[in-house]
Amino acid sequence: MNPLPDWLPGDLRGGFRLGPRRFPGRVWTASGCFGYGLGGRDLVAPDGRSALDGLGAVVTKTVTLAPRRGNPPPRIWDAGPGALNSIGLENVGLQRFLDEVAPALEAAAVPFVVSIAGTAPGQFGVMTERLHASAAAYVHWHGVELNLSCPNVAEGGVDFGRDPATVRACVEAAAGAAGDRALLAKLTPNVACIAELARAAADGGAHGVTAINTLLGMDIDLSTGRPVLPLRRGGYSGPAILPVALAKVDEIVGGTGLPVVGVGGIRRLDDALKFFAVGATAVQVGTAQMDNPFAAADIAAAFAD
Amino acid sequence: MSGQPQPRRVRGRVAGRERVSVSMHRMTLDLDEAVRFLPGQFCMLNFEGAREMVLSRPFSILRVDGRRLDLLFKVVGAGTRLMADCRPGDAAVCLAPLGRPFPPPAGDLPHLLLAGGVGLPPLWAWRRRWGRDADLNLFGGRDGADVPWDLLDDGWACSVDRPVDVPPGREAHAGTVVDLAGMLLDGETRPRRVLACGPAPLLRAAAELARGRGWDCFVSVEERMGCGYGVCRGCVVPRADGGGYLTACQDGPVFASTQVDLAPGGEGDA
Repeated sequence: MNPLPDWLPGDLRGGFRLGPRRFPGRVWTASGCFGYGLGGRDLVAPDGRSALDGLGAVVTKTVTLAPRRGNPPPRIWDAGPGALNSIGLENVGLQRFLDEVAPALEAAAVPFVVSIAGTAPGQFGVMTERLHASAAAYVHWHGVELNLSCPNVAEGGVDFGRDPATVRACVEAAAGAAGDRALLAKLTPNVACIAELARAAADGGAHGVTAINTLLGMDIDLSTGRPVLPLRRGGYSGPAILPVALAKVDEIVGGTGLPVVGVGGIRRLDDALKFFAVGATAVQVGTAQMDNPFAAADIAAAFAD
Repeated sequence: MSGQPQPRRVRGRVAGRERVSVSMHRMTLDLDEAVRFLPGQFCMLNFEGAREMVLSRPFSILRVDGRRLDLLFKVVGAGTRLMADCRPGDAAVCLAPLGRPFPPPAGDLPHLLLAGGVGLPPLWAWRRRWGRDADLNLFGGRDGADVPWDLLDDGWACSVDRPVDVPPGREAHAGTVVDLAGMLLDGETRPRRVLACGPAPLLRAAAELARGRGWDCFVSVEERMGCGYGVCRGCVVPRADGGGYLTACQDGPVFASTQVDLAPGGEGDA
């Protein structure tokens, strides 16, 4: 059976090269929607498949230098055809990630990309260096994704990743330390011209970009007249943002020719095909992974060798 | 979670939906495979086709009989409104069983079960599986019409905030379920273990009652959830020691009442 349409550009089955690394597949899970990558491994699918089967990579939950407590609840809100979140980058911090999480991913042979966020460009360099110093021997660690656009972090948030010069500085800092791992910059869609950010990332030394992060959004509880999220605004994701994400990926591919890992609203194979149609190199499944732990694995099955 | 049934994603169909009180519905799913659960565990439910939601919704499991799974829900938002419109045959999908259950009985210690509104299922399931004559099983509703009388056998006593619409032949104490517990326990000296599930004020009152008597208390919290299996960190509950958050879906939903901060503005008061 061949479920893939003829019009797809090239052969998207099996592994592919991105920068210095060969990834085992083009369907990944997105950062923040699948924990550190092992949370779904004990779950059983209707067909007996594992949630990790055939994945090209899991992108870990974003890790910061120091552990973060995250935002007060409620942190998640189903808003029509999308979901609002305000998790606030809760994470175990880099040291615990290196001591406990990365070794577990390596031992489980899960291909992984580490998502990192910093509060200043230099931090991306420091974190990438420490990652490399600790995990250089890992064969399943494929890359670093710089989270330049999480809108929930009070001390920088969305403005941080909106400025091309800052994006370039962050990528440059990490590029010097990434060694033989793929370096991706994850871009915010909350700008007028995302291709400019992509160019800045490329100038800084990124091998590709991930697009898009969440849209800035909010919702109001009509019983109180107040925002549903304690911090008022959050990240909007899910099926509602797919057309926006596609347009942004299209803009980057057309404007820069850079490899783009497309993400935004992908729930099933048909959604993923749309991103490949506009030239995405790989895709990530985000919010759908929360609803269905097997969403990415189901899509990946169509791209198996 | 060793020794607990492994969570599975299972497809199925809506077998039926019926109103069990003025505010509560029971939904029965006919699943493609049987699932097992322990009282207090929950499922994440979604539908396929036109009724598909962006995020599944969490529901405590009332009962499983082979491939039939029952849950209770109350219409509180778009997702549960959609569920109230479901018809037999609608395609459903659920991930179950999830979360930490209520602890099984410890020795001969009698229990005090405090259930409020749609917080009934885990305790109903617990009593069905492990309940003994010495336990005290109490359900609280807003008024007589809010009580799912047909689900409550003679072993349950009821309280209602407003003593109206209580059907002939049924009894309901006017007041909160914790008031009723205080009244029934008056003069009793033997210790009990408290299990509670319901709105946040009930959980706080249950924890307070237990603390005052030096008893163990376990509460099942209700939180908005994203994934239900621990990957999104969306359903957090503040730790009692101030050291960050626990997740309702994986660390809970059942916690020792001393583990979590149940103060207003903390766990799910909304």
